[in-house]
Amino acid sequence: MKKLLLVEDNEMNRDMLSRRLERRGYQVLIAIDGAQGIAEATRHLPDLIIMDMSLPVLDGWESTRRLKEQNETKTIPVLALTAHAMAGERDKALAAGCDDYDTKPVDFTRLLGKIENLLPGAGAVA
Amino acid sequence: MTSSVPSAGPSEATYRSIVEHAIEGIFQTTPDGRYLLANPALAHIYGYASIEELFGNVQEIARQLYVDPERRTEFIRLMNEHDSVWGFESPIYRKDGSIIWISENVRVIRGADGKVEYYEGTVEDITERKRAEEELRRAKTAAEEASRSKSQFLANMSHELRTPLNAIIGYSELMREEAEDMGLESFIRDLAKIESAGKHLLELINGVLDIAKIEAGKMEVHAETFEVTKMLHEVATTITPVVERNNNHFEVVPTGELGTMHTDLTKIRQSLFNLLGNAGKFTNQGLIRLEAERVATPEGDWLHFSVRDTGVGMTAEQMAKIFGAFTQADASTTRKFGGTGLGLAITREFSRMVGGDTIVESQPGKGSVFTMRIPANFKNAQDEHPVVEPEPVRTGDIPIAEGDQPLVLLIDDDLTVHDLVRRFLHKEGFRVVCASSGAEGIELARKLQPSIIVLDVMMPTMDGWSVLTRLKGDAEVSDIPVVMLTMVNNKEMGFSLGVDDYMLKPIERGGFVSVLRKYCSPQGSPTVLVVEDDQTTREMLRASLEKEHFTVVEAVNGADGLRQLQNVRPAVVLLDLMMPEMDGFQFTQEVRANSQWRDIPILVMTAKDIDADDRARLDGQVSRILQKGACGRDELLAEITSRIARATRPNELIAV
Repeated sequence: MKKLLLVEDNEMNRDMLSRRLERRGYQVLIAIDGAQGIAEATRHLPDLIIMDMSLPVLDGWESTRRLKEQNETKTIPVLALTAHAMAGERDKALAAGCDDYDTKPVDFTRLLGKIENLLPGAGAVA
Repeated sequence: MTSSVPSAGPSEATYRSIVEHAIEGIFQTTPDGRYLLANPALAHIYGYASIEELFGNVQEIARQLYVDPERRTEFIRLMNEHDSVWGFESPIYRKDGSIIWISENVRVIRGADGKVEYYEGTVEDITERKRAEEELRRAKTAAEEASRSKSQFLANMSHELRTPLNAIIGYSELMREEAEDMGLESFIRDLAKIESAGKHLLELINGVLDIAKIEAGKMEVHAETFEVTKMLHEVATTITPVVERNNNHFEVVPTGELGTMHTDLTKIRQSLFNLLGNAGKFTNQGLIRLEAERVATPEGDWLHFSVRDTGVGMTAEQMAKIFGAFTQADASTTRKFGGTGLGLAITREFSRMVGGDTIVESQPGKGSVFTMRIPANFKNAQDEHPVVEPEPVRTGDIPIAEGDQPLVLLIDDDLTVHDLVRRFLHKEGFRVVCASSGAEGIELARKLQPSIIVLDVMMPTMDGWSVLTRLKGDAEVSDIPVVMLTMVNNKEMGFSLGVDDYMLKPIERGGFVSVLRKYCSPQGSPTVLVVEDDQTTREMLRASLEKEHFTVVEAVNGADGLRQLQNVRPAVVLLDLMMPEMDGFQFTQEVRANSQWRDIPILVMTAKDIDADDRARLDGQVSRILQKGACGRDELLAEITSRIARATRPNELIAV
């Protein structure tokens, strides 16, 4: 089973996304801010990280930058979730080291496609 | 003279009576600016008790009457050119120093030799009209401002609306999937309706947000280079299911080689989606074509995209309305076809933002053709250089205007911010140099030693915090004040790293400039505090002073003046004496009693006749007393400049 880490501060979004991802056969770990995200990623080494960009404590851009600097976490793909309204945000997400991005509100089918593309051994969902 | 015999014309007495009793001022003046004749109305308009008093006081019209002596020169120039002037409007000093607006109708009288003998004409007091015009202008500005705030509010609000909607759509999708697993047929249908209504609502909010951003001037162009054919292919793939929904046939028809474009891809794509989505909606069992062609013109290449349908079409009247926000061809259209009515307004605005336009041709029953014409290479029309430069500017060839105005170094990756900041700071008397990355910024800071650094927090590769740490750790530049530009408040972090001040993005011009002034008052534009109760005079002074690159701070009376001194330290105070609440005498005393303000030069400008008593009260307190009306603009400016020069040696301040 592929292990995903979802870093998202909004409780409803977190609950909804994690349940839907679990229905698709993923194991979902949760973190509610950037600092916790880095800690969880370092401890559990997930197959992929879905990272909201506007996070408390440490924002998504900085968290991604740090994950990509750490040897143990730098190969984990990071999928950024950015607010639709802010055109500059997606460029900043990629510049921070994110491997791909998607906009909120989430189009779940599209998000699944992006997740599968990024996972090592693409598409192999347990 | 009271003859009953009809004469050839009105008698001299009649003429005299007309002149004496006219409501308009009537005059004759010599080319060198003296009065030959005036009527009582003229003396009255200018605030004199009689014609005699007017003649006795005014020997030099250009300097004594006109607030701007250049008006008289301009007047004479026009007279020489046209022999008459109609509706020549100027501000004028009345006897008491107050300012009124007049309108003159004048013609030239020449002698037999063609030389100008005198000018004659009429004067009308138009102060009320001018005031009304000014109020109207202000009301208009206020209304535009209110409209912008409203749009700004909408933009923020729409963003907030999305967050709960995200949950509504997500949970209804989740529940529908679970209901499918459990085989709960009736639930599936209802949950699908919630989901579909949620998605529709999201579309509406997105449209409103786009319109609000366009109106608030917050919609930005992000140009990138892309292949047109590839873009069309992607658009077609995405939109085909929507266009073919009403059993329509859809085809893409490119003509010739389309090449690449350098413009805002997202906006072009969204515009094509809007046009194609509309065509699909209003066409049933018909044909929809997306045509594209590259057209060369002397101004460069353009791309023409046409969306042609065989649908319901429109009348001329309907066509005139469809590009307005919130309008469809008519209200029944909304009921029949749904939609927001925003798509076409957005499409047209988008195409105009990138330098093109969208037009429509249509006939009822025959279908419609929407054509979007877009320049292949986006140029910012306002300043005629591209907003987005693909390569970063090299430090070697940055043009920096010569001068001793303070130099502001802006470090921001967003080139549209460079452009904006450069333009408005230039007007405020700063020189600006821009860096688009942290590394470049640090290098420029070392090389140019700017007066202040404005630093954006969010930048790729090296963010603002890292740049700040480097700047503050470098002895060569560590004492240069740094102001952070940020979208998020993170003061603790900033101050601990040595930030001097903060500004929130989006940049608000007034706040930005006042923060900069805190750290570096432009030497090229010293501040003048104008303490004057008459609004017209204040505005006049502001205009003259700003033209000479002074920064003007206004106060409406002495008390207000003292309040202003708490915030700014002017190089000179221009002071009126007669003011409500606190007059100029008391103001002067208060200023001189304060050790921090004691050495600020004060220039008194007064319409009051200064008597020995007044002089005694001001003696040793003020730098100079200038008589309003008697002192021309140039004299005033020269006086201010010399006071500023002397202010470095405050002991020299002596009243005259």
